[in-house]
Amino acid sequence: MGLLVLEDVRKTFHNGELEEEILKGISLSLQPGEVTALVGASGSGKSTLLTIAAGLQSTSEGVVQFNGENLSAMKPEQVRKLRASQFGFVFQFAHLVPFLTVEEQLLVMLDVAEFKLRKAEKKEKVHQLLQLIDMGHRKHAYPSVLSGGEKQRVAIARAIIHEPKVLFADEPTASLDSKKSKEVMALIHDLTKRLNISTLMVTHDEEMLVYTDRFIRMMDGKIV
Amino acid sequence: MNMAWKEIVKNKVRFLILGSIIFLVSLLTFIISGLANGLSQDNASLIKDLPNGTFYMAEEVNNSFPLSRIDKPLLKEITEEHPEAVAFSIQMGFIHDESDQQQSIAFVAATDSSLFKQVNPGEIILDRSLTEKEIKIGDKLTNSQFAGTWGVKRFVDQKKYSHAPVAYISLEDYEAIYQTNTMQLVFIPGDDISQEYAGLHSFSKNDFLKSLPSYSAEQTSLNMIVWFLIVISGMLFAIFFYMMNVQKIDMYGILKAIGVKTSTLFQMMWTQMLVITCIALAISVMCSQLFAVLAPEGMPFHLTLSSVGKLAIIFVVIGLIGATLSGLQIKRIEPLQAIQQGGK
Ligand SMILES: Nc1ncnc2c1ncn2[C@@H]1O[C@H](COP(=O)(O)OP(=O)(O)O)[C@@H](O)[C@H]1O
Ligand SMILES: [Mg+2]
Repeated sequence: MGLLVLEDVRKTFHNGELEEEILKGISLSLQPGEVTALVGASGSGKSTLLTIAAGLQSTSEGVVQFNGENLSAMKPEQVRKLRASQFGFVFQFAHLVPFLTVEEQLLVMLDVAEFKLRKAEKKEKVHQLLQLIDMGHRKHAYPSVLSGGEKQRVAIARAIIHEPKVLFADEPTASLDSKKSKEVMALIHDLTKRLNISTLMVTHDEEMLVYTDRFIRMMDGKIV
Repeated sequence: MNMAWKEIVKNKVRFLILGSIIFLVSLLTFIISGLANGLSQDNASLIKDLPNGTFYMAEEVNNSFPLSRIDKPLLKEITEEHPEAVAFSIQMGFIHDESDQQQSIAFVAATDSSLFKQVNPGEIILDRSLTEKEIKIGDKLTNSQFAGTWGVKRFVDQKKYSHAPVAYISLEDYEAIYQTNTMQLVFIPGDDISQEYAGLHSFSKNDFLKSLPSYSAEQTSLNMIVWFLIVISGMLFAIFFYMMNVQKIDMYGILKAIGVKTSTLFQMMWTQMLVITCIALAISVMCSQLFAVLAPEGMPFHLTLSSVGKLAIIFVVIGLIGATLSGLQIKRIEPLQAIQQGGK
């Protein structure tokens, strides 16, 4: 039994008269210390599945369980708290806060997760993580002066600084060149092992699968 | 971590521009309000400075008191019931000073009462503004309708009517000029006088002020400008934060996705609004007080700290409303939207 379990998840979107079932009964389970990749053609429902697993939208049928608790039975505020303290997110674009330095981005995340540490301890924690991802020298830089790869590394750091149990990444390398992509993938893989996180990642680049522990191929809303 | 302040510091220019506009609009508001207040003093301090009470004038004159006549028997009846009641008349006129300069003034004559300055025949008490026209205590003044002369007895502060300095004269001298000893108005001081007299129309102090034609015209238009400026400043906040928020929709979506509370985002906006407004208002309050000191002589300008304070509070409240209205869009942002836009 994994930490995050999806059982027979279905999602139907209504476009006016039209009903379209995008997810047609998906079951999967994420294990700590493992990177699970979702691959498949564009439009096959990967992002929909990831956001449902992360509690960002609800299922039409089926359940998502985190630590044995059903997400659809929770109040929105509880789901928000769960996302803030137990989940981390990386997206195709880093989406850093433009007016905060690298260090401040991570400090904010610690506040959001309501991490109980003194200010100096928080700073030390941020410092260590930035050293770990090789961004220590960019601590006081603003996002506008960082390269795409650097931004994405900071986004990854923001996603894990609060020691989440699950990391969700939706095409985190899609905006990067091949060399930078490999670095970012290696970093996610390495952090997953080191911090014993359960990582769920969407990628369309099969070359990146070497950095994952297992992959799930989707087609038309089903696992194949 | 104070994100609100960090954003202000990082985007100094933007917030500085907003702050300067708020500063200018509020300063203009304060100055116009000071002018409205000053003009109202200049126009009617004679009436405004009376205590609360009830004014009576003849019913048939259609609210135009210069035509009003309070009949002697009725006046007697009123004063027997209310010994503190005072009958008085105001007439616009001219005096000639010793160098034969003509000065426009408002003659005021009243029955015995501490609410109006009392003078003997041949004496006159003037508003202090006439000292600027080189009139001194003891000067002899004349009027073309008046056979005798008046000796200036003393000056009093801030007694104006219809933008003219008030000149208190005796009932006898009043009769000599205007050939009548019936007064135009009766005033009964006191908060709870609601008595009606046959043939007389009663006014509260405010209603009486409003019945003065130039007074309400002046005050209404100036107060309208003040309110327009306040509304404009509220709209400025709404527009400014609307534009700021539109640029940040993606960021807000992501922040919501990673678990930031919507209320935190609102607090951020309110903090910024308050910081900018309070700084701008503080400077503009100081400038308006400076203006009050430096305002040219003769410019009717009267601005108390308490009225500036009230306006400042209204500015803050309107700013909050403006920012909040435009912030409602933050509430509607779905975290998903931003992520999916990013993914495409
Ligand atoms: N909110 C929505 N409303 C309607 N259709 C949607 C919505 N979200 C996704 N879809 C549709 O679901 C399908 C799968 O989308 P998505 O999960 O983003 O695919 P992928 O990430 O695999 O490219 C697409 O056809 C998309 O248009
Ligand atoms: Mg997708």
